[in-house]
Amino acid sequence: MATRSRPISSEFLFLKSMALFVFWILFSASFEWIHLGLGLIFSFAVAWLNSGHSPFVPRFRLWLRIFLYLPWLFYEIIRSSLHLSKLILHPALPIDPHLISVESKLRHHAAVVLLGNSITLTPGTITAEVDRNNLIVHAIDKVSGEEVVSKKIESKIADIFKDEEPDL
Amino acid sequence: MDILAIIFMTAGLFFLIVAAIGVVRLPDVFSRSHAVSLTDSLGAFLMLVGIALLEGLSINMLKILVVLILLYILNPVIAHATVRAALRSGLKPWQKETP
Repeated sequence: MATRSRPISSEFLFLKSMALFVFWILFSASFEWIHLGLGLIFSFAVAWLNSGHSPFVPRFRLWLRIFLYLPWLFYEIIRSSLHLSKLILHPALPIDPHLISVESKLRHHAAVVLLGNSITLTPGTITAEVDRNNLIVHAIDKVSGEEVVSKKIESKIADIFKDEEPDL
Repeated sequence: MDILAIIFMTAGLFFLIVAAIGVVRLPDVFSRSHAVSLTDSLGAFLMLVGIALLEGLSINMLKILVVLILLYILNPVIAHATVRAALRSGLKPWQKETP
């Protein structure tokens, strides 16, 4: 079993299973008793089984900042998608794949997760290995690699997490 | 609205085709997974937005939105797992020959 780092609050459990139940209704789109009953049972079962490992319960302020960060990330995704398309369609295939080792200054588990996911989501760079603060990134050419080396994404994420308690 | 949907889906198709060409042309697992992530991040996004516009405001649009969110959460995880497995099994990334 998963280690329980904190006692499970029953309100949290209830909220979680209600959220799951809403998703069940959304996807099944059927209001017969057998479906609703099965959905209720499974929502509680899944919420209870998962209650052991959810150490990260972000506050509203954090969610808002992450939400405001997403449009910028999306713009970056479009920019590097166009760059990668150009590389692939170029007759000479001017790629230069290389591995980059980056050490981030982030002090939160969630921040490192966000950084790794953002790097992977941006076409042209993929996080290959994560060990606490050290990331190994595979980049397809110099221009894509420059985005990681310049720590543009990292400074944005450090900004999001600047008011949180460090946990790494 | 239909025309807008067609524009979105055509743009999505363009990126899907580019990604397919990339998978064929690029030399190894690492660089091929870059091409695949192009499909996920923009190809599928534009296709799904096109479908959502075609569908109009309904429960199906909500479902497509949920699919999009899940796609953006799960795809980096899968790409990372693939590349990490390749790296850990000792595969050396392909490199440009230095003259």
